[in-house]
Amino acid sequence: MAITEEKLGEILEVYPEKVRVNRRRHIVLKEPDTNAAQQIEANTRTLPGIITNRGCAFAGCKGVVVGPIKDMVHIVHGPVGCAFYTWGARRNKARAGEDGKNYVNYCFSTDMQESDIVFGGEKKLAKLIDETVEIFHPNAISIAATCPVGLIGDDISAVARAAEERHGIQVLAFQCEGYKGVSQSAGHHIANNLLMDKVIGNTEVEKCDEPYAVNLLGEYNIGGDGWEVERILKDIGYHVVCVMTGDGSYEDLRLAHTADLNLVQCHRSINYIAEMLEIKYGTPWLKVNFVGIKSTCDSLRAMAAYFGDKDLMQKTEDVIARETARIQPVIDQYRKVCEGKTAFCFVGGSRGHHYQGLFAEIGVETVLAGYEFAHRDDYEGREVIPSIKKDADSKNIPDLHVEADTKRFKIKIDPERLAKLREKFPFDEYKGMIVDMKEGTIIVDDLNHFETEEFIRLLHPDIVSSGIKDKYVIQKMGIPSKQLHSYDYSGPYAGFNGAVNFARDISMSFATPTWNYIVPPWKNQPLLNATINGDELNA
Amino acid sequence: MEISEPVTQQSGTMQSRSIAENPCNMCMPMGGIIALKGVEGAMVILHGSQGCSTYMRRHIAEHFDEPVDVGSSSLNEKGTIYGGSSQLKTAIDNIRKVYNPAVIGVLTTCLAETTGEDVHRIVEEYCRERGVSREMFITSSTPGYGGSHGDGYWYTLRSVVEQITRPAAPHDGVNIIVPITFSPADVRAMKQTLTAMGVSFTIFPDISETMDRPYKTTYTKMPTGGTPVAEIRKMSGAKATIEFGAPGEEKKFPGTYLKDTFGVPYHRIASPIGLAQTDNFFALLKTITGKSMTAETFAERGRLMDAMIDGHKHAFAGRSTLFGDADLVYALAGFTIEIGMYPRVIASDSRSKHWKEAVTALADGSLEPVTVLCDTDFATVRRESETAGSNIALGHSDGKYLEEHSGIPLVRLGFPIHDRIGGQRICSVLYSGTNRLLDTCVNTLLERKYRSYRKRMYDQYFPSSRR
Repeated sequence: MAITEEKLGEILEVYPEKVRVNRRRHIVLKEPDTNAAQQIEANTRTLPGIITNRGCAFAGCKGVVVGPIKDMVHIVHGPVGCAFYTWGARRNKARAGEDGKNYVNYCFSTDMQESDIVFGGEKKLAKLIDETVEIFHPNAISIAATCPVGLIGDDISAVARAAEERHGIQVLAFQCEGYKGVSQSAGHHIANNLLMDKVIGNTEVEKCDEPYAVNLLGEYNIGGDGWEVERILKDIGYHVVCVMTGDGSYEDLRLAHTADLNLVQCHRSINYIAEMLEIKYGTPWLKVNFVGIKSTCDSLRAMAAYFGDKDLMQKTEDVIARETARIQPVIDQYRKVCEGKTAFCFVGGSRGHHYQGLFAEIGVETVLAGYEFAHRDDYEGREVIPSIKKDADSKNIPDLHVEADTKRFKIKIDPERLAKLREKFPFDEYKGMIVDMKEGTIIVDDLNHFETEEFIRLLHPDIVSSGIKDKYVIQKMGIPSKQLHSYDYSGPYAGFNGAVNFARDISMSFATPTWNYIVPPWKNQPLLNATINGDELNA
Repeated sequence: MEISEPVTQQSGTMQSRSIAENPCNMCMPMGGIIALKGVEGAMVILHGSQGCSTYMRRHIAEHFDEPVDVGSSSLNEKGTIYGGSSQLKTAIDNIRKVYNPAVIGVLTTCLAETTGEDVHRIVEEYCRERGVSREMFITSSTPGYGGSHGDGYWYTLRSVVEQITRPAAPHDGVNIIVPITFSPADVRAMKQTLTAMGVSFTIFPDISETMDRPYKTTYTKMPTGGTPVAEIRKMSGAKATIEFGAPGEEKKFPGTYLKDTFGVPYHRIASPIGLAQTDNFFALLKTITGKSMTAETFAERGRLMDAMIDGHKHAFAGRSTLFGDADLVYALAGFTIEIGMYPRVIASDSRSKHWKEAVTALADGSLEPVTVLCDTDFATVRRESETAGSNIALGHSDGKYLEEHSGIPLVRLGFPIHDRIGGQRICSVLYSGTNRLLDTCVNTLLERKYRSYRKRMYDQYFPSSRR
C-alpha cells in the first residue's frame, strides 16, 4: 500500500503549477534507512485558498498557551467573535487551587464596535480591566490582541502598565494579532517570550524545598492528560513545581526557576521557554512523551537517571511494574480488535508524532503523519535548527534574548554526567518525527482538505486521527475519525490510564456495528447495493 | 465566582459595564458563511487571517456535524501593509481549480476592513484579469466589529440578491426567506409543507441538504442542494416575499431590497413557531397565493392544540429565559406567551431599537413582568434570570451555564449547539415543529419537578421529629 512518487504526482496534478511545486516540498516519502536526512518544508506561509487546518497567532497565544492559566483573567481585546471562538473550545481542564480561583470557564471581551475601531479602544480596555479586578480579583490579567488592535494603534502595553500601577497585580499584554507569522506557532512564541520575561522568576522565592522538583512544560491537560501524568509523577516521588499551562496557575508559573529539571511534552509550543530556562537558570530539559506505555516508561526512567537516586530509580521501576501489570492485560484485549489496522495521524505540533507509539502498542500502524504548524526541527530533529533560514515571517516574531541570571543561575547537574546521560536519553534534544517513521510511509506538513481526501482514497486507512474540521469529511468517506486535538469529549489519553482509555476508544470505533452498514467504496461490498432514482443505496 | 453587585441593564444600546463577560453572540462573517452555504454550488472565502476561517469552520462543523470547507486568503503581516489583493486573487484561483464551484462568496473580516481592503474592487479586477464573469461572485462586507453573526447573515443575503437578482417576468412563485436559526430540518419541513400545498416558492437560503448531507457511498467535495442561482436571479418576479424574522434595521434585509428595487410586496413576519404565528403565516400565504393548508397540516394544527391542552398546567408553571438570535428570540416570545410559559428575561444580540420595541409590545401580552436585554452577555442574562426566578431557558448551547450554575434547565435550539448532537435536525417550525418544542419544554419542566419533588414533600410534610 506504499505510496509512490508517481501516485503522489497524480494527486498533486490538479493544483496550479506553483501550488504543485510548493506542496511537493511539504511532503516526504520515507525512504529506507539511510544516513541522508530527508528534508521537509515547514513553518512557511500557507497558500491562500488551500483549505488549511491552520489557525492564527491569536489562537496559538490566547487559545493554546496563555488561556489555560487558571487563576488569571484573560481578556480578548477585539470584536466579540475571537473571544467567543476560544471559549471552552480546547478542553484544557482546570480545577481551582487553594485560593479558589479558576476563570477558565469564563470568556471576557472588550466587544469592540465600529466606533472603537475609529476612535481607539484603549479607554474601554482600561475600564474593563478595572471592572474585572473589582468583580473577580484575579491573581493577574492577560490581554490578547486581535487583528484590528495593532492596526488601529491601540497601545495595549501602555494600558497594561497603567493598570498594573492602579491595581498592584501583573497585567500582561500579548501582541498576538492574528495576521502575525504563518500559523498559531507564532502565537506560541509570543506567549513564551512574555511569560519568560515577566512572570517566571517574578518572586522572592529562591528555591524549592521539595526534592525532585520538576516543571511539566507543554502539557495542556486536554481531557485531563496532565492530571494523569501528575498522578504518576507524584506516586514516584516527584514534586511538580508548575505545569505550562494546562491546569497551571500564575502563582506556580512564577516559581518555575526553582525546579531541578524541565520536562518538555509539546516541543513545538514550549521549547522556547525550555531553552531560555536553561540559559537563565541552568535547568536542563528532557524531551518526554507521556503518550504511550513505552514512551511513558522511557520518560520516567530518563528522569530517574537524571536525579541518579537509587531509591527513586527503584520506586520508578516499582510503579512501572505495578502499572503495566495492571493495564497490559486490558490493552491486550483491545489490541485484538485493532490489530493490523492502519491510521493517519495528523495533529498540531507534537501529537502527530506522540500518538504513533500508542497506536503501535494497540497494533495500529501509522501510514501517514504530519503536523499542522510545526517547524522543521519537529520533523527532522533539533540539529537542523542552525540551518533553518529565517524568513520575513519568522523575523517578525522577535527572539527574546536572555542571559544567565547572576544570582539564580545554578549548575543543576555535573556537566560530565549530563553529557553521559545524553548518550542514552533526549536531554536538550528532540530527534523529530521522521526518524521514527517506517519506510514507505508518508509525512505531510500542513495537510489540507483536498489532500486529506485524496490520501484517504489512495491509502485506505482504517481510521484517521485529526481534528473536528476534517472529522466529518473522513466520516462521510466511510471511515471513523478520532479527534486528537480535543479527544472527542473523552480522555485522558496520556500515561497508563490514558493508554487504556485510548485503546478502548479506538477499538470502539472499529467494533461498533454502525460501520457494518457504512462501507467505503474500496472495502468489501456492503450487504445490499442498489440504486434509487440514479442514486446509490448502500445498506 | 459570584458577582457582587447586580447591575440592571434595561436600556437598548447603552451598557452600564464595559465588560462582555461570556458573550451570547458571534461575529458577522460567521453568519455570512452560513448564508452562503445555502446557495447552490457556492464556496466561501474569507479575506483575512486564516484563524477566522479556521475558528468558524470549527464551530459550524461542531453544530451541523458536517464538513465545512471555507477558504481563506491567509493574510499575513505583509498583506496588511502592502494590501492583500494578490493573496485574495490567488485564493480564488486555487479554490476554483480544486473545487470548481458555481459561485464564490467573498466575505471580509476585521483585518481586511481595518486595512481598507475593497473586496468588491478586487473581485472586479480579478474578473477583468482572468476573463471570468462577475456573476460568479458575491462580495459582502462583514467586519467582525460591525455586528453579530445574525447581522452578518442578513447583510450577506442582501448582498446575494443585490448582486444576483435581475429583473424578471412576473411569476407565481413566493420568496420564502429564512433566518439563520432555521435548521436544515426547519427548512425541510417548510419545503415539504409548501410543496404539498402546491405553492410555487423559492426558499432562500436553503441549507436543508448542504448542511445536513445524507451519507452516500461516494463523497463529493461540493454538497448538492442549496437555492439555485437561477431561482435567486428571478426572485424579482415573485408574487411576494415572506421573510421570517424580528423587526430590525430594514437596510440589511434582502426582502426590502426586492421591494424597493423590483416592487415585490414584502412581508416580514415572525418565524412560524407557535400556533398564532404559524396561523399568521398560513393566512398570509392564502392571501398571496389563494392556497390553503392541506388536510394533513390542518390535522397537525389540531394535534398541536390538543398538545397545548394536554400540557397547559405544566407549561403554565414555567417561567422562561429566552436568549440568542434576535429573530429566534422574537418568535419564541410569541410562543412562550401563548402557552403561558411566560418569559421573564428576553435577551438577544440585537442593538436595534425596532427589535426592542417589538419585543416589548409582544411582552404586553404576558401576565408577568419582563426584562428585555439588548446586546447583552451571559453574566447579565444569568443574573437577571436568577432575580426573576426563571425555571426554564430556551436558546443555544452556550446557555449551559444557566443550567450548570443556576439550575435553570436549558432547552437547546438555535445556533450553535456544541454539547449535543443533532442541532441540524431540531425542527421547531410550523405546527408539528411547535408541537415537538412544546413537548420538550413541558418534559423539561416535568423532569425538573420529578428530580426534586419527593424531597420537597418529605421536607414539608414529614416532621423532623419523626424522621
